[in-house]
Amino acid sequence: MKKVAIVGIGHGKFGVRSDASLRELTFEAVKACLDDAGVPLKEVESMVTGIAGDEFSIALQPSAQVHDYIGFQPRPNFRVEGACATGSMALRTGWMNVASGLADLVLVVGVEKMTEVPTSVATDIMGRGGDAMWEYPFGTTFPGYYAMIANAHMAEFGTKEEQLAMVAVKNHFYGSLNPYAHMQKKIDLEKALTSFTVAYPLKLFDCSLITDGAAAVLLASEEKAKAISKKPVWMTGLALATDTIRITDRESLTSIKASREAAKTAYKMAGVKPSDIDVATVHDCFTIAEIVAYEDLGFCEKGEGGKLIEAKETYAEGKIPVNVDGGLKSKGHPLGATGVSMAIEITKQLRGEAGERQVKDAEIGLSHNVGGTGQVVAVHIFRRD
Amino acid sequence: MWEELDRWWPSISSGGTNMEFKNFSIAIGQTKVARFVDDLVAGKIMSTSCKRCGKRYYPPQADCSACMSSDMEWRPVSGEGKLVTFTKIYVPPEHFAVRQPLMPFSSVQFEPCPIGIIEVEDGLKVMGWMPKIDLKKIKVGMKLKALPQILPDGKVTIVFEMV
Repeated sequence: MKKVAIVGIGHGKFGVRSDASLRELTFEAVKACLDDAGVPLKEVESMVTGIAGDEFSIALQPSAQVHDYIGFQPRPNFRVEGACATGSMALRTGWMNVASGLADLVLVVGVEKMTEVPTSVATDIMGRGGDAMWEYPFGTTFPGYYAMIANAHMAEFGTKEEQLAMVAVKNHFYGSLNPYAHMQKKIDLEKALTSFTVAYPLKLFDCSLITDGAAAVLLASEEKAKAISKKPVWMTGLALATDTIRITDRESLTSIKASREAAKTAYKMAGVKPSDIDVATVHDCFTIAEIVAYEDLGFCEKGEGGKLIEAKETYAEGKIPVNVDGGLKSKGHPLGATGVSMAIEITKQLRGEAGERQVKDAEIGLSHNVGGTGQVVAVHIFRRD
Repeated sequence: MWEELDRWWPSISSGGTNMEFKNFSIAIGQTKVARFVDDLVAGKIMSTSCKRCGKRYYPPQADCSACMSSDMEWRPVSGEGKLVTFTKIYVPPEHFAVRQPLMPFSSVQFEPCPIGIIEVEDGLKVMGWMPKIDLKKIKVGMKLKALPQILPDGKVTIVFEMV
């Protein structure tokens, strides 16, 4: 297998982007990515597009809209999908393209335009991301699924609503420092705790945002990376794991088993352990999901996730900085773009280009991207020279 | 509350008609386990069991993923079990949001109802509505019984009641 590096990153503005179409959002990210890499599009050999839903922006073949608008034809492009982990699936597929020797320069695009439908419709579409046949008849929504995980975690480990809110306060703090974030506003504990209940015990500020946005990275083989980039970021560990479609069939509701499996495989492939990670982006679609991720990724013991945020150990100065880009919570969660956006933040951190949000001397980073309620989970590990 | 928040999470319950819980209009008519609904109407919650390896499935499956056999038999679920987890969804999906048809510009009308998961025999887990149990009284680990319930419009769902 060839070594694979990220040599270009491009992040569009996340938010309610009623000013731009799916293809126009993609153009912004791709242009920024190619500028960052200093590589013209004509040199890129292949492309992978991550888009989670056809229903948000009604399109049967959204990836064709995207490659046409950037003028990529006749080169290869196809779409991959893995619900909320779609971006990481695209990155993994791009990595496979380079690692296999099929191409030396591959563009990976993640994009989603979610706000063309009303929130209730978006909630409906995402709710059917669980088992539409057997669970959806009980009115399940994504906040509902994670609320059930939260209640199980609170009952077993004594995790508190205040600890959930502390995750929101942290991620909004960092989102306020990220110019690409959907919601660049700080909040305090009281605001989080007094917001209305979406699905008990999760309140408005426990939930990530329904967002439009695009992100793109350029992947290169070792020879190309060394020729192009002064600061290549190597993807040294990639893992994907799956679990049951229904949460009722899970072994445990206080953990995402596929996260544990993927983390184990990724750490092994990269030859590192949890304590080696300097900075991480984890899937905080809901505050409880970040707490569970701390535990599943080995950043703390099982059941101690609430205490880890309470001790502020996941702030930039803490033991293991997590989501110092604002996370899905404040940066926003355009499904297809999220996994690519996570890789961009880690790349910035490892290049030392994260500005006010910079984690000191970050050398090894991790991204953790959960599809649905954990039906598919990707964990990627990154390293600088 | 900031004004822009309303754009992301539009207003929810504002009183109005009481919709205690929604029918179990499951999309299983065109599956190999379609009789599950007929059994529910007859008052039974049914699982399937593999005749070759014995593995049980709830919701029922026509095929066994443990041994790849399709030789299955139907078995009733006792329905009694402990609550694994629960929630009460205040922001419903579009399909469950009841609109007032004659009121222009009316907002979504919905009276939420808690849902939960109970673990019954053989590790099987059943999802259901809890229309008669107050959220404050719901505790993980409490004993509940799952029962089919036919709604006024003839559709059928599953509810949990206190044992």
